[in-house]
Amino acid sequence: MSAVIVKAMSDLRRRRLQVVVIFVTTLLAVATGTMALTLLSQTNDPFQIAFAAQRGAHLRVTFDGRTDPGTLAGTPSLVGAAAFGGPYRATPIQFQYRGHKYAAAAVGRDEPGGEVGQLVLVAGRWPVGDDEIAVTRSFADLSHVSVGETLKVVSVADAPVLTVAGEVIDIDQVRADISAQRAWVRTSAIDRLTATGGGYYLMNYRFASDPTSAQLSTAVETLRAALPPGSITGSINYLLVRSIFNVVNQVLIGILVAFSIFALVATVAIVANLVTGIVISAYREIGIMKAIGFTPLQVALVFVLQILVPAAAACLFGIPGGTILSQPLLASSSDALGLPYHATFSVLLDLVALGGALLIVTLAALLPALRAGRLKPAVVIANAAAPRGRSGRWIRRLASGLGLPRPLVLGVGDAVARPLRATLTAVAVFLGVATIVIALGETRHFADIYPYEAHVGPVDVVVSKSAVLTDPEAMRLFEAQPETERVVAETITNIVVPGIADPIPSVMYRGDSAALGYLVTTGRWFNGPGEVVAPKGLLRDAHLQVGDTFIASFRGTTVPLRLVGVVYDFAGGPGGHELMLDSSTVVPALADLSPSTYFVTLKAGSNVALYVDRVAAAQPDQLEVQANTSGPTQLGMVSAVLLAIAAVIALMAVGGVFNTLLLNAREGARDIATLKALGMSPRQLIAMVATSAAFLALVGGVLAVPAGVQLDHVLLDLVSAFGGNDTPPSFYAALASWELIAILLAGVAVAMLAALIPGRWAARTNVVEVLRAE
Amino acid sequence: MSQLVVLKDVTKVYQAGITGALSGVSLTIENGEFTAIMGPSGSGKSTLLNLIAGVDRPTSGSVAVGGADLGTLGETALARFRRDHIGFVFQFFYLLPNLTALENVLIPAQLKGKVVAGRAEALLDELGIADVSDRYPARLSGGQQQRVAMARALINRPTLLLADEPTGALDTHSGDQVLELLRELNRDGQTILLVTHDAKIATRYAARIISVVDGKIVDDARLESPDRAASEVIRVRVAEMSS
Amino acid sequence: MSLKYGVLGLLKEEPLHGYEVKNRFEGMLGGTWEVNVGQIYTTLQRLERDGLVRPVGARGDRGKQTYELSPEGRKALDQWLGEPESGPQQLREDIYVKLLLAARIANGDLRGMLARQKRSYLQRLRDLNRVEERARRDGRVDLARLVRGALLHTEADLKWIDELASERFGTEGKETK
Repeated sequence: MSAVIVKAMSDLRRRRLQVVVIFVTTLLAVATGTMALTLLSQTNDPFQIAFAAQRGAHLRVTFDGRTDPGTLAGTPSLVGAAAFGGPYRATPIQFQYRGHKYAAAAVGRDEPGGEVGQLVLVAGRWPVGDDEIAVTRSFADLSHVSVGETLKVVSVADAPVLTVAGEVIDIDQVRADISAQRAWVRTSAIDRLTATGGGYYLMNYRFASDPTSAQLSTAVETLRAALPPGSITGSINYLLVRSIFNVVNQVLIGILVAFSIFALVATVAIVANLVTGIVISAYREIGIMKAIGFTPLQVALVFVLQILVPAAAACLFGIPGGTILSQPLLASSSDALGLPYHATFSVLLDLVALGGALLIVTLAALLPALRAGRLKPAVVIANAAAPRGRSGRWIRRLASGLGLPRPLVLGVGDAVARPLRATLTAVAVFLGVATIVIALGETRHFADIYPYEAHVGPVDVVVSKSAVLTDPEAMRLFEAQPETERVVAETITNIVVPGIADPIPSVMYRGDSAALGYLVTTGRWFNGPGEVVAPKGLLRDAHLQVGDTFIASFRGTTVPLRLVGVVYDFAGGPGGHELMLDSSTVVPALADLSPSTYFVTLKAGSNVALYVDRVAAAQPDQLEVQANTSGPTQLGMVSAVLLAIAAVIALMAVGGVFNTLLLNAREGARDIATLKALGMSPRQLIAMVATSAAFLALVGGVLAVPAGVQLDHVLLDLVSAFGGNDTPPSFYAALASWELIAILLAGVAVAMLAALIPGRWAARTNVVEVLRAE
Repeated sequence: MSQLVVLKDVTKVYQAGITGALSGVSLTIENGEFTAIMGPSGSGKSTLLNLIAGVDRPTSGSVAVGGADLGTLGETALARFRRDHIGFVFQFFYLLPNLTALENVLIPAQLKGKVVAGRAEALLDELGIADVSDRYPARLSGGQQQRVAMARALINRPTLLLADEPTGALDTHSGDQVLELLRELNRDGQTILLVTHDAKIATRYAARIISVVDGKIVDDARLESPDRAASEVIRVRVAEMSS
Repeated sequence: MSLKYGVLGLLKEEPLHGYEVKNRFEGMLGGTWEVNVGQIYTTLQRLERDGLVRPVGARGDRGKQTYELSPEGRKALDQWLGEPESGPQQLREDIYVKLLLAARIANGDLRGMLARQKRSYLQRLRDLNRVEERARRDGRVDLARLVRGALLHTEADLKWIDELASERFGTEGKETK
């Protein structure tokens, strides 16, 4: 046995380049694999842990401000809740901090604890005075506000100033972005912050065991039936919260897993290729080993060991590396929800990953190694070089038929002379190019979605208005500006649709909303009152089709609506529950509902910055005015990870090509020396090697580009489906044809670059040494 | 021109430990000659061959073939020189394993960009292997492979044919065939340089024998070729019976 | 070659008279031998005296007397054929002594001698080759084989010269002792 080890180690020392290749490819594959596994195993836990610890609310319902609080206090027993919190008085507020305007829901609550929905204080203390407020930690992080600083509430006329007393973590928070924040003040402070007709009540319900979606819908229906019509203005359940939390992670994980599998396959291909090459180049040595007395098994072991040692070393770095790399991703998703982050990983998982990686590498190395073991010594020593296949013949015919010069024809023939090696190399190239196409495509898609959602292009300026300023006042201001071309006002409210338990967030537009640029995949945009469009998810869950009419209810009154189109939009969250309609549909019912956002389009050639400054100066407190450019996206991290992994796999592919070329050049040293003796110039030799590389890259790339495009579509469909949408056809094409061709040509060019080193080596062959050293 | 190859004071030094160096070798080979170079292994005879073929460069001195000083040629020019003027036949054939016999023969012409299928086929025919033109080297006997190699060496009508132990890997019969072919070529005017360790072969086919020992030419013999009777060259002594 | 066994061997093929024996030898050895017909007649007589051959037919004149092998003769021939040639190697040429002496004596142009001798061997090889080629062309198989033997012997002598030279003059051409 020691002989096997001695031989394996001495081979390792000799074949340094291949050791490096194995080490690097295994390292990359294992790191991405471990990262994916860690994320996969951890994702569900943080939320569940935090939810249970903070006794989160299974169901949270908002009630109209006119409802009787006493009645509300009796509702928990109606729905069978084991514990409840509230009724809390609440009101939407807008406040200003350091020149920025924010909107939040202020909730009156006198203590952070309680039976349901405990809030965990992470800084400062709970408000004790009426002029104090507590904010969530995610808000504090995003806005950079800290304890002790002041906020100016601008949604009420006397603009009270509040001091931030503390920061908390709220498990029931729906989204960690700026737009859906809650803040807490003393119950006695709510009145002062409530604008006319703006207050409402909030109840938290918690059940003995986690209720299903059906049970939650029943609970809401029970409440609706027990209270005066229109009492319930909205409801959120914990399933929704959890699924939103998971969306980004699931997208991320799904993509990571796919890419890790790619990386693993690439590693297998490269390792198998490598070992086959080593075996072939060691043919004579194998014969000698067997003649000396190595058994077939021992011969195989020598090769397997040579591979395992660098692979194991790579695992030593790759597994901790992958685990460490997964932590920031875990942390960011926890942070995004304002959840406390615990560094979590499992040693067991790491050990499984180690075992799995070594097993895969061993298997990849085993087959060619066993073949090496089975070779007969006499045959092998006599046949110093392994006989090569004939498969190149028709390719050579084709190539010379195309009129290519002889060195190129020989290069092409060389590439396919060993079909297995050529296939494995082409597979590596395929994976590299495909992942690049997918990564670039997805990044483009993500980059497209945000401007689409923000209407970048059709809209030049976005204005947020506080409730204090009236709609007519705001419109007068806009119309007073000469550059104003068009204004679309947006109001958000809730509408109850039959068949769906929770009220549907609905966006009402006044003005030429069709110009905002939403894509309608079936049907058309609405033309007037009573017509609505909605994402596919809502149609599915409410069992609606384009053309259907249904009776919706808004604030107690029924409103007949007709569905005229399917819109592509992500604002409806997972499930895609939202409606878009014209404000005129419910105008009679809502005199007190004022638009909160205005989308302003300027005349061509206007100076946007000047306009923004002017309007903001006219109403510094009540309006927040911004030029409409797209900013960094929330999914930026996903894109970054995608591109990083794609780069890694592409690197592995380049390594695979380089390795194949090196093997071919080494094995073909005799042929190269012969060609040189016959009169092939150095330039011709380099061209020959470069053509080999280019051919393999071309084959792999030509197959990879359409495959990558298809997979990219599949991934985009996944992303759309999470938002309850079908992807509109126009969204599919992320990469233009010329860009795809450029990627293909880039792959070929990189392969040819990789060929330079083996090519120069070939050109410098010392004919004398090679041909005489038999 | 009658002086085909001219070496002036050629020295080749390798790193210490590698044999095969030459020191101060001067040599002239005439057009149409059949010359044999003999010497023990490590004497430098292969180096000599490689220098003449332009596959290697001397450390000092000059090598001129067909009037061209090889020292003035760059790598690419040397490659072209080899392609156009030198035919190489090696001990181990060195056919490209992935190409058929015919394709192997065509390579030097194709490197020039020429289409000479007809000539290739004619050569194969002359050498008696027309029927295996479609086979791969692995399917050919040693003698057949060497003849393919010869056809390959001749396809571009080389000025000089270099044969380095061409029969070393062949059985006696195939070897004789190959040597006879060389003799015929020489009769038709081909200048041939044959490296061999076998004095029987050298004296049978070449009238000029150059002996190389330890990097120097120790002898340059032009032998005579009279017609002698057997009795002039052999005496068998017979012992008579005791009386 | 021993004339005795040569004659016995030829007679084993068929009974012959003296002149035929001479022609047979001529055919085999192509004039390279040194025996005249008189020696053959003498040999035949002595073989008959020793009982190894016996005359066939009436005793006529010497040139026409046919002989055949006797059983004793057959036995003696088979025994001779069966024994390998053992005994000392016969080195008949002066060159061995000459070169040994020259190598030993401090003066003397050993290098030149070796070179000249080698030249001579090369020329001899060439001559032998040409004789062999002609013999093969003429279909004289026995002669060709004989010449082949001579070639190999000459080659061996040539190799001895090379060895002497490299041993004596080393790898740098400098004289060693």
